[in-house]
Amino acid sequence: MLDYVLRRLVYTLITVFAVASILFVLFRMLPGEPTLQVISPAMDPAVQERMKEAFGLNQPVGLQYLIYLKNLVTLEWGRSFVSAQEVTDILSYRFWNTILLMAAGMCLTLVLGIGMGIIMAWKRNSPVDVGGTIVGLVFQAAPPFITGLLLLMVLSYRLGLFPTGGMYPPGARPDGLLDLLLMPEFWHRIVLPTLTVGMYYISTPMLIMRDSMLEVLGSDFIELARAKGLKPRVVMFRHAARNALLGVVTIAGIMVGFAVGGQVVVESLFSWPGMGQLMVESAASHDYPVAQGTFLMLAILVISLNFLTDILYSYLDPRIKITAKGMN
Amino acid sequence: MAATTEPVLSIRNLGVAYETSQGPVHAVSDVSFDVGADEVFGIAGESGCGKSTLIRSLLRLLPNNGTMTAERCTYKGRDLMAMSDEAFRSTIQWQEISLVPQSAMASFNPVYRVGDQIIESMRAHRRMGRAEAWERAAGLFDVVGLQADLLRNYPHEFSGGMRQRAMIAMALSLDPGLIIMDEPTTGLDVLVQERILRRIREIRAEIHSAIILITHDIAVIAEMSDRIAIMYGGEIMELAPSVDLFENPHHPYTLGLENAFPSIRNVGKDLISIPGSPPTLVGPVESCPFEPRCPFRIDGCAAANPAVVDVGDGHQVRCLQTGDVARMRTLAREKSTWRS
Repeated sequence: MLDYVLRRLVYTLITVFAVASILFVLFRMLPGEPTLQVISPAMDPAVQERMKEAFGLNQPVGLQYLIYLKNLVTLEWGRSFVSAQEVTDILSYRFWNTILLMAAGMCLTLVLGIGMGIIMAWKRNSPVDVGGTIVGLVFQAAPPFITGLLLLMVLSYRLGLFPTGGMYPPGARPDGLLDLLLMPEFWHRIVLPTLTVGMYYISTPMLIMRDSMLEVLGSDFIELARAKGLKPRVVMFRHAARNALLGVVTIAGIMVGFAVGGQVVVESLFSWPGMGQLMVESAASHDYPVAQGTFLMLAILVISLNFLTDILYSYLDPRIKITAKGMN
Repeated sequence: MAATTEPVLSIRNLGVAYETSQGPVHAVSDVSFDVGADEVFGIAGESGCGKSTLIRSLLRLLPNNGTMTAERCTYKGRDLMAMSDEAFRSTIQWQEISLVPQSAMASFNPVYRVGDQIIESMRAHRRMGRAEAWERAAGLFDVVGLQADLLRNYPHEFSGGMRQRAMIAMALSLDPGLIIMDEPTTGLDVLVQERILRRIREIRAEIHSAIILITHDIAVIAEMSDRIAIMYGGEIMELAPSVDLFENPHHPYTLGLENAFPSIRNVGKDLISIPGSPPTLVGPVESCPFEPRCPFRIDGCAAANPAVVDVGDGHQVRCLQTGDVARMRTLAREKSTWRS
């Protein structure tokens, strides 16, 4: 098992390295000088040259790349062109905000989706099954910026049930993560973005769970479990749902990756101060160090989630471990 | 008759019909037999003859479109037909009637340890601690000739023969009155097959369960069973004590079957197959199902399904021509008889 985890970890690190390298190339391929924001063309050419030196931009590209990698590892990710804050400081604050919203959205999606999938397979072809499929597909077809807007329009502006955005009321400054989590206003404000995320993604785990349940229910070991005289509930959950989960876990890893991308829309819509919003802001204001850091951070997040999926999968399916380390 | 004492299982006129888009399919009809305590009752027949449906109906594992009917279906005097699903589950399933399934390879849940699946079957029906159940499972593994520490392994770490043994151990776990073995040796190589069969014979001496053994392998069934029922087209064509069935066959289908299997006594003898293919069983049963393939058919065969005739010593035959059996046996040895 440890062997397997270590091996996956090495693959994960290689992937992160590849993404970092691609980012390095991409940011140098962007049209226009990355320095345009801070080095005005109206300046004296000698001053311009000195500033480029200060940013290390006069070095050969190969050396720049090595310095870039070194700085990544030592967490010197530069300063914002706009606020002059350390990028790592900005990210560490924004990162948790994104994680909180994503965790809420994915929990809702997975718990409700998997539960619904089990019930739908159990009551196959019943109104619950048919209705659930239709609702799930409608939600999936509606892009989050539409459903989010509709939710805002109806529940916030018309009915006034929820605030329109932000993470806490203006003026309140929570002191750290725990303080934030203890604020009722925070939970009040997380409802709408969570719903938006949940509605968009719920059909995936729900329909996959339903399908793999139906497949598992036809297998020989389910028939034997019934022959053993186990309670129908036990057959359904301990034997069928447990095995059907394998299919969902694979998809969930991919889905959460997509959801990280979807954060950009949801955070912008609900003024959620997370990395998605930061990405939009920094790109709009040509704040290259922040944009680069945000991209990298989101990539690392997705890659780490895939790593966790692999580990979880090997825990759920004992056959994976064996093939990974060979017969023993 | 083997069943001199009260039979463990007694079935009269059992039928199973599947509702399909082409109308009802009578997969099993008019099946009657008793299984005595300690008896091994063999059911043989080709694929699709209804033997698997028959045992599914006995275990209440029929799919939703299948319905079972029976004039009588009792287990140790208890009427199974009158029993609710919940009562059947909590008092009969596995405690009284257990199953060794056809596909031991796929019948263990791949994500749980074999031992956990065995103790699950015990703890579902008996008040029993984990440790106690585990100890019992270890004892059962010993009975079937597996090492107890294998209980901690996952099914994919077992070979086919080991899984089959583990299945047998699980079927024995609650000392059931009746074990149904559905093709217990299919898919195993001949040596493993032989070892499993030997083990089943040895176990028989130690336990007091009746066994229904289902197979399409005449050799296996001849070796293992006290009495044998030959099924064709969802019906029992001939039912007799083993020795009697092979030495004194009556039904044309049985005669054909014996031609089609290699025998150690007649090496070099040509195998003769029965021309034609089994019936589809759609619609009501109005004639002998074997009639279209039978070389000895007469006018009455297609008119009505023949009644079961007792030819003595509990030897039952569903055929109109039981009186003409000597002629049929002679002709059945000729290859030309079986040309369609």
